[in-house]
Amino acid sequence: MSEAKDLRATALVASYERAGYAPAAPAILQPAEPFLDLSGEDIRRRMYLITDSGTGEELCLRPDLTIPVARDYLASPAAGQPAKFCYLGPVFRQRGDGPAEFLQAGIESFGRADTAAADAETLALAIEATAHYGLAAPAIRMGDVALFSALIAALDLAPAWKRRLAKDFNRKSSLAHDLDRLVLGSPNGKPEYQGVLAALANSDPRAARALVTDLLSIAGITAVGGRSVGEIADRFLEQAELGAGSALPGATRAVIERFLAVNGDPNAALLALRALADEAQLALAPALDLFESRAGLLAKRGIDLKRIHFSTAFGRGLDYYTGMVFELHDPGGKVQGELVAGGRYDGLFARLGAVQPVPAVGFAAWIDGLVGLGGRK
Amino acid sequence: MTARLVIAVPAKGRLQENAEAFFARAGLGLVKPRGARDYRGTVAGLDDIEVAYLSAAEIAGQLAQGAVHLGITGEDLVREMIPHADDKVVLLEGLGFGFANVVVAVPQAWIDVRNMADLDDVATAFRLKRDRRMRVATKYINLTRGFFAKHGVIDYRIVESSGATEGAPAAGTAELIVDITTTGTTLAANGLKVIEDGTILRSQANLVAARGAEWTEAARATARLVFDRIVAHSRARAFREVRTRFKGLDDKLLAATRERFGVVAPYGGPTSSGMMTLHCPPAHVHALASFLREHGAETVVVAELDYVFARDNPLYDKLAAGI
Repeated sequence: MSEAKDLRATALVASYERAGYAPAAPAILQPAEPFLDLSGEDIRRRMYLITDSGTGEELCLRPDLTIPVARDYLASPAAGQPAKFCYLGPVFRQRGDGPAEFLQAGIESFGRADTAAADAETLALAIEATAHYGLAAPAIRMGDVALFSALIAALDLAPAWKRRLAKDFNRKSSLAHDLDRLVLGSPNGKPEYQGVLAALANSDPRAARALVTDLLSIAGITAVGGRSVGEIADRFLEQAELGAGSALPGATRAVIERFLAVNGDPNAALLALRALADEAQLALAPALDLFESRAGLLAKRGIDLKRIHFSTAFGRGLDYYTGMVFELHDPGGKVQGELVAGGRYDGLFARLGAVQPVPAVGFAAWIDGLVGLGGRK
Repeated sequence: MTARLVIAVPAKGRLQENAEAFFARAGLGLVKPRGARDYRGTVAGLDDIEVAYLSAAEIAGQLAQGAVHLGITGEDLVREMIPHADDKVVLLEGLGFGFANVVVAVPQAWIDVRNMADLDDVATAFRLKRDRRMRVATKYINLTRGFFAKHGVIDYRIVESSGATEGAPAAGTAELIVDITTTGTTLAANGLKVIEDGTILRSQANLVAARGAEWTEAARATARLVFDRIVAHSRARAFREVRTRFKGLDDKLLAATRERFGVVAPYGGPTSSGMMTLHCPPAHVHALASFLREHGAETVVVAELDYVFARDNPLYDKLAAGI
């Protein structure tokens, strides 16, 4: 399928242009590094990779358009300023079932400070994409990664456990495993320096850090593999703390599980989350306020909130999302998988090397999926 | 592909020496009719076999494509280079050489990292602090990805390394490595340690069959012939032949030797004169000899075996089941 053969896709993107999104046409051949860095090694086997024989740089056929559009913007004079882009073009992924080259259309909105409004606009334009293909009422699944981050931040947990839970949010089986471990404490073997760790746990943190740092330098160890001696010492001591009081109170686990069980339409979810925050005395207000104002703006745009299925546990399996995430599906089940998917990724630009943080939100639509709906041509 | 059975053998180094020795012990002498630098060979006395000398990595690739019937290569290469390896090849037998473990190794200075769970945590902390992922230098991209995924480690990047991987952390091109090690000496010399549960694979050279090769009747028959010799030799190595003759040797005593020493009687029970041939695992030969003399044997003769041919051939059965 080429661009020319799907005039509806061209018309869809033209409508985004009219809405103020500038057409972007990044290069098809891209450096592989940012994709691997942002999506993880797991994407490697789905990418078409080649090594430039001159520079040795690893290149790829772009597996999505978000990162290429973001990179071009970051390299442009407009970097850091609010900017909106739309695109339509081929992306390349090795897929077991279906052609490796397929079309994606989408929008990106960079640099806007009015988070809730930008989120609402993005979701509204995503629904326009399915409507354009004859599906005015797609199944809307929504989550909010920022809520889970706020929960973790508000809980009284060791930093190591906070990192772990945040990372495993996108992998639910691991998350359950983490919770088990948190409650039980570490079952399989105490570190061999348990005694040292226990002794250090009750000492002055600064003195302990100095001691460990000294020990490492006395040992003459220079190869630290990109981690500083201080960093190693800090984590070593963190382990000491964990060892001292490693098990999570059952009540905290119950809070996490209750939080992750919240789902329904955004208004119902909001009520449940406010109640939970009150009861467990969790400082979730900023994240919940944003959630509430986003829901309000969505309703103002004529989106029936009753049709949104929100779930606190919903994530898109990619760890660069930082806020709202959503997927639009075919409620009839004729087309499997998401038709349109996107969300907020405020961390993206820092990972691409931007000095100042740049808020970002957007989505991508799978044209072959939309065509598969079989709507009026 | 010719009608002949094609066997791929490593083309250089210790692996070649060991592979040739393995075939030679089984009475399969590899010959290069056009001289030592030739990359095609045959087996003395068996015209239906072609030997292809290739690098161990090429052998894995050729097996995956079914371009050769059989090959000798490391399990590490099979698992690394062939996606869904078990659908493409059958690992018939570990050959007892080419041992190497594929391991995850980190700087010794990482005193806070003992196992994969620690590594997982450190990897995430590293990314949060630096906005980039920890780098893993390796040539085992697929093994690394699979193993890290199994342990839930996601915050890492692979840096492809084709040589001197163990130097990468000191050189600053990676934070940790996945590499093969035999004794761990090279790792230690480079200030690295193996993580407790970080052994990805215990590898050795294997006799491998390609499921996708053209297994004609003739090729199967030739393979059977080859495997007959291999099995005959390995059976011979698993036993010593013990011969004796005395009146008291009856079925009951025989049963006792079977139970206590793992003895087999290839020709059945004793003859009318009490003449008996037994096959006994080497480790139990002395105990068996004492036992037999205690029960009346005058003389017990023990000899090494060259080959033990039998009707059944488990190696061929494994091949036949897999292709």
